[in-house]
Amino acid sequence: MIELARLPLCRLVRTRRAWLVLAAWSALGLWVAALARAQGSAHGADRALIDAYGFLLLPVLSYVAVGAALGARSLRAALAPLVAFGAPPGRAAGATIAVASLASAAIGGALAAGIAAIAHGAADAPRLRDAVASAYAGGLGAAAYACWFSLGSGFGRRGGGRALLLIADWALGEGDGAQGFFTPRAHVRNLLGGTPPLGMTERASAAALVLIAGACAAAATWLARRRT
Amino acid sequence: MITLDRVAARRSPMTLSDLSAQWGPGVHSIVGAPADGAALLFGLVCGASSPRSGQVRVLDGSPTDASVRRRVARIDFDPSLPEPLRVAEALSLAAKIRGDAGLEIGGRLAILGVETLAARFVRSLSLAEARAVCAAEALTSPGVRAIVVLEPLVAMDPRAARRIGDAMRSAARAGKCVLVASSSLRDAAELADDHALLQSGRIVARSSSIEALYGVSGQGVRLRVFARDDDGARTLAAGLAGIAELTSLERSGTSVRLRGASATALAEAVAHAAVASDVEVIEMRVEPIAAKQALAAEGGP
Repeated sequence: MIELARLPLCRLVRTRRAWLVLAAWSALGLWVAALARAQGSAHGADRALIDAYGFLLLPVLSYVAVGAALGARSLRAALAPLVAFGAPPGRAAGATIAVASLASAAIGGALAAGIAAIAHGAADAPRLRDAVASAYAGGLGAAAYACWFSLGSGFGRRGGGRALLLIADWALGEGDGAQGFFTPRAHVRNLLGGTPPLGMTERASAAALVLIAGACAAAATWLARRRT
Repeated sequence: MITLDRVAARRSPMTLSDLSAQWGPGVHSIVGAPADGAALLFGLVCGASSPRSGQVRVLDGSPTDASVRRRVARIDFDPSLPEPLRVAEALSLAAKIRGDAGLEIGGRLAILGVETLAARFVRSLSLAEARAVCAAEALTSPGVRAIVVLEPLVAMDPRAARRIGDAMRSAARAGKCVLVASSSLRDAAELADDHALLQSGRIVARSSSIEALYGVSGQGVRLRVFARDDDGARTLAAGLAGIAELTSLERSGTSVRLRGASATALAEAVAHAAVASDVEVIEMRVEPIAAKQALAAEGGP
């Protein structure tokens, strides 16, 4: 399994363009946090995390990280070199999704903690506690998004399903109705202190994110096994 | 090692129907145009495609078994290699996945004369170099027991093309099954010990001699004869006209294309005509007839 993780890891680490894009989006997030701090908003961290990070930055960062781990192609094409060397497609898919999820979680968690620390306002929770809680929410949300986009990558010749799921997340996850339950967006928003979907508790949303991540990873692995 | 039992499969535009064959250790060729289905057949052997009916057994197991996949290597026309890695890293990754230990990378590439590629990034390789790396990996892995190669001499690094025949024979001597698909009769004859003729998804003949396949193809054989100049070709064509063995004859510049049921009969007719009309023949080449061309010639769709 470790050797199968080497290819997606190298794709992530050695793709300069992916790093530049990730850095640019992260810089945007930190700039928004600095702006909230400069405005002296009492709920600066909440606003920056919900309105900018959860709304735009986290999904886009995960989208870019998954794309980089797959070499900007479909899941099937991304696994082809490993399968050509005799790796079982299911295991290769599992390793690739795991790398994408861990990288996404690390980037998402770190950025959330950074935004919470910089944009911290007077009415926000204590800075350290808020940063840790935000890192947890961001990391979990990013991992769920990575699995979500990995599933999308299983569709389309060049993994165009990934972009479709990004749009579906935006379209369905915005409201607090039942349709949001099936998207990472609604639960991430709840964990960051925004409106919960269906009045769910934060713990229930965390469980839902784990469920979404597991279901998407399993479905993507099944697709890879079936089509490769 | 590889057994197909009444296999039917389809992946547009290729179809295989009622295909039964068995290949053991050695170098075997499948001769046919790409549309005849060799790529689909290889997909079945590698577990990348599933048969609609019938059974495919590779190394006494199903091609989709993890233990079988590791021991089967496929050299595609457009091979998949891990693009962010260097060639040496890619071979080392392949060795780990296949369970091969302690292999020296330079030596593996040297078998096809491409050891200078070791430090290059895979994404910087040309198609021919990538195919050579893929072939070196497959031919030198001790764990690999079955190798399928699409068009081994087409778009192959020239250094590798010179050595791949010997490397494949050496792998065969080590008890491996090497299956080669080619639309070139000459390549098949050069590389393999026995041949199967694949036409429109069916194996229509098997033989250890390419010559023997010409007569049973049902579509005959096409011979292209090159004269030294236009006049020579014109004289040769005139000398060949009216020979009973010919089903068609056409001249284009310095070459004459003729078609008939038997390559030997055609070659004899050319020899007689060349001697009778005192024309110098500088090259004579057998050309495969693609399924579509054959159908068109027969007035089919």
